[in-house]
Parts: sequence; C-alpha cells; structure tokens
Amino acid sequence: MRLTPGPGYDVDLDSVDLFDLDLYTSGDPHPIWDAMRAKAPLHHQVLPDGREFWSVTRYEDVCRVLGDHREFTSERGTVPTHLGTDDVAAGVLMTSTDPPRHTEVRRPLGAKLTARAVKSWEDSIRGTIQRFLEPALDGETFDLAERALLLPAMVTGPLLGIPEKDWEELVQLTAMVTAPSDPHFLQGSEAATLAISHHELVTYVKEWVTARRAAEGGDDSLLHHLMSVRPGGAPLSDEEIALDGYSILLGANVTTPHTVSGTVQALVERPEQFEKAQADPSLIPNLVEEGLRWSSAACNFMRYAVDDVHIGGGTIPARGAVVAWIGSANRDAAQFPDPHTFDITRSNAKRQVAFGFGPHFCIGAPLARMTLRVFFEELLQRFRSIEFAGEPQHLRSYFIAGMTHLPIVAQKRRTP
Amino acid sequence: MERQAAPSSAPVSLGQEIAELWGEFLHCRIGPDDDFFTLGGNSLTGIKIIDRVAQDYGVQLSVRDFYLAQTPARVAELIEQGRAGA
Repeated sequence: MRLTPGPGYDVDLDSVDLFDLDLYTSGDPHPIWDAMRAKAPLHHQVLPDGREFWSVTRYEDVCRVLGDHREFTSERGTVPTHLGTDDVAAGVLMTSTDPPRHTEVRRPLGAKLTARAVKSWEDSIRGTIQRFLEPALDGETFDLAERALLLPAMVTGPLLGIPEKDWEELVQLTAMVTAPSDPHFLQGSEAATLAISHHELVTYVKEWVTARRAAEGGDDSLLHHLMSVRPGGAPLSDEEIALDGYSILLGANVTTPHTVSGTVQALVERPEQFEKAQADPSLIPNLVEEGLRWSSAACNFMRYAVDDVHIGGGTIPARGAVVAWIGSANRDAAQFPDPHTFDITRSNAKRQVAFGFGPHFCIGAPLARMTLRVFFEELLQRFRSIEFAGEPQHLRSYFIAGMTHLPIVAQKRRTP
Repeated sequence: MERQAAPSSAPVSLGQEIAELWGEFLHCRIGPDDDFFTLGGNSLTGIKIIDRVAQDYGVQLSVRDFYLAQTPARVAELIEQGRAGA
C-alpha cells in the first residue's frame, strides 16, 4: 500500500471494501482510514459471503481493543484472514491465548528478549547488516524490498538456533502466510498456500525439537529455551512448542523487512530528512520510531467482542469480530499532528503502536528496535545518497503492509 | 491396526477409502471429489491425515502435493503414484 497518501478522493464509507486486496496492492487505503476516523470511528462491513466485522481506526480505540482482553478476546483468532472460523490453535498458540495463561507462557520468553538481554547480540547483528548492505555499495541496482525479506533470518537465525541452509525456505514459507494470494507466493489457491506454509513451518519446528531431544545437548537458542521453560510449573507441550516456535519465526520474518523498505523509501523521497539524519546520528533512534509509525507493517489485528461493547460511538454485539487498524491509529491526528508528514524529529514518535499494544505487544520489539537502529546507523554512514531505480511493488495483503520490490541505487560515501 | 489394501484395488475404491479416512478427522461424510478446504480442512488436520497415510499405506505424501490435490480422489492418485515409484 502507498505510505504517502495520494490526492484525496471521495470515500463512500457505506460501500468501501476493506478486504479488497487490490486496495493494498495498487490502491491507497490512507484516505479511507482518514474518512473512517473522522466520520465512522466504528465501521461495519458485511462481506459478500455474509461474514461481517467491525473496524476501529482511532488511536484510542485501537489501543483499547488490543489492550483489554476481558472485553476483546484473542482466543478465537487474531488475523482477519481467518474471520468467521474459530482459531484451531486457541489457547495453545500464544497469540491466540488470553491472560492468565498467556502471561505465564510469555514471561519466561520475554525475559530472553528484553532490551538488556538483546544488547549482547549488537556486535554480531552489526556484522550481519554490514554484509547485507555490502552488495549495494558497488553502485548497481539493489532491490531492497526483495533482499530485505532475508534480513530478519540473517539476524535472528543464529539467535533462534536455525542453520543458514534453512533460512531461505523459512522466509518463503512465512511470506506465504502473510500474503497467500500475492503472485510471488501463491501455490494453487489461497487456502492451499496458507495450509502448505502453516504445515511446513509447524513441522519444521517439530522436527527441530525432535532432533534436539535426540541430541540431548542444550544450547542458548530461543527455540531451545522454548523447550525448557516451565510456565505454571509444567513444560510446554510439543504442540505448544511447535506453534509458538512458528509464531516466533513468523513475527521475526514478516514485519521488519517492510519497516526497513518503508523507512528507506520515505527517506529517499525526502532528501532533507536523509541529510538531517546523516548530519546528526543521535536522531537515528527517533528516525526508527518514526519509520515504525510510518510503515506500520502489521497493518491490523483482530479480536472478538466478549459481550456487547460500546466503542467509537457505536456498539459491537457480543461475539462480533473487530479489526483494530494499527496503520490508521499511527496516522491519527489526535495523537500525531500532521500525521501524513514523515518527520524524524517528531517529538512523540515513540507513541506509535506498530508493535501493538497491551498483553500481546510484540515480544521481539527490543530486538527489532536495535536491529533497525543498527541498520540505519550503517546505512547512513556508508551511503552518501540513495535514489530509486524503478517503481516499488506492494505486497498483496490486507494484514501486512509491505513491499515486494523497491529497486534503489546508492552512492558510496567517501570515507571520512 | 494395519490396514492392508489389496494389490488389485482400483483407484476408485482407494479414493473412497481416503474419503472415509478424511471423515474421521473432519467429522463428516465425505465423497471422493469433495474439496478439503470447503470441508473445513486446515493444516492441523492435514498433518494428521498425512501421518495416517504414511502409517496405513506406507507412502509419505509431499505436503505441497497433498494440499494442491485437495480431494480424496486426487490424493488416492498420489498414493498410487507413490506406490508405483516405491
């Protein structure tokens, strides 16, 4: 989807189709979300097959839906792809589990992923990012979006305990989950693509666990940590390990590349912002926050209302599905003045909700923040300037806002 | 319990057998040409079905082939091919 909205157009909120994949591939959702925040903060849509869902788009409402599991449960599924079909992994997969069980499982994992814990990986991540950027230094066209798909695997593979030979396949599988009807990833039908990717990812983790058990040796990897935690006094079941491992692979792989591409695109479009960051590297942490706000790679999450709930000036009936549009919340003028302006000095950029909000706040956020900071430190230090070398191509997904292609050409910076 | 399919079994009856096997996991009556996903099949049922096929027929189906086949009749063909190749 376009991250800088085009000229405004008349939006008919009664007929708008938020699940129209063309809107995200080649259209412009921001003017629609702008109209929804202004005129229909609680929006209702019925799909042609009769399934229906409500949408909240304002910052405050998005935070409420994501933040309060008593009113809005995760246990019937959290991605709109599965709207209307209760999640088969409810109560097992961490993202589809409410507190208190969710808290028990999350706590020991989160302890491995705090800002302090991930700090020890900074040097190795910097080395990885230097290797990643190396091919762009020769002045040839570099398809940032395509290459960035592999970046999280390069960064997190060693931490998760996944050998390099498997990265490409896993990246392909996680991309299939997020955009099953994108021609880059489609296998047969959308349903088949989803099933193949779920199946192979879950099987991958299961086989990984079996091999580790047989080897009986422990290591320091996150997947091994999943095998050893004892939330509530008992170890995770094999199914929980497989599904949470799947979820961690997915979370690591499918969002960071798009934040990288979206932020670089914003900087190339605005050379004055690029120069500002280059002149003052202390702005980079805030540049990262603004890039997260701007690109909002996880475009939305879904919840189900437990009881009738009043929100956004209307009522969601008990058991109704509600989609919290993170991409819209991050452009809410009530929170971010001039929301469609990309400004690396924005004073409250850190209030972005690109990592979500509440109990399911992204467990990998400290690692993602550090990776992005190191990425932009290295990029700005190595490249004098960057130009586009072709049109970007957008991911065919209403769930992940991202790009499949962003060709750029970079000019090397003379060594200072 | 090992199920021994007769060597002469025509693909038609194998298709019916596979349809019955799916029925155990999808909890409904299934015909050889019904669509896996329309029946509510997902990857968690797929994992169980592929395991059972390996156990009962000695054929390890490729994950991709299984979901792209999508009906018991076409999965039966995959099993036939798997046996022929074995």
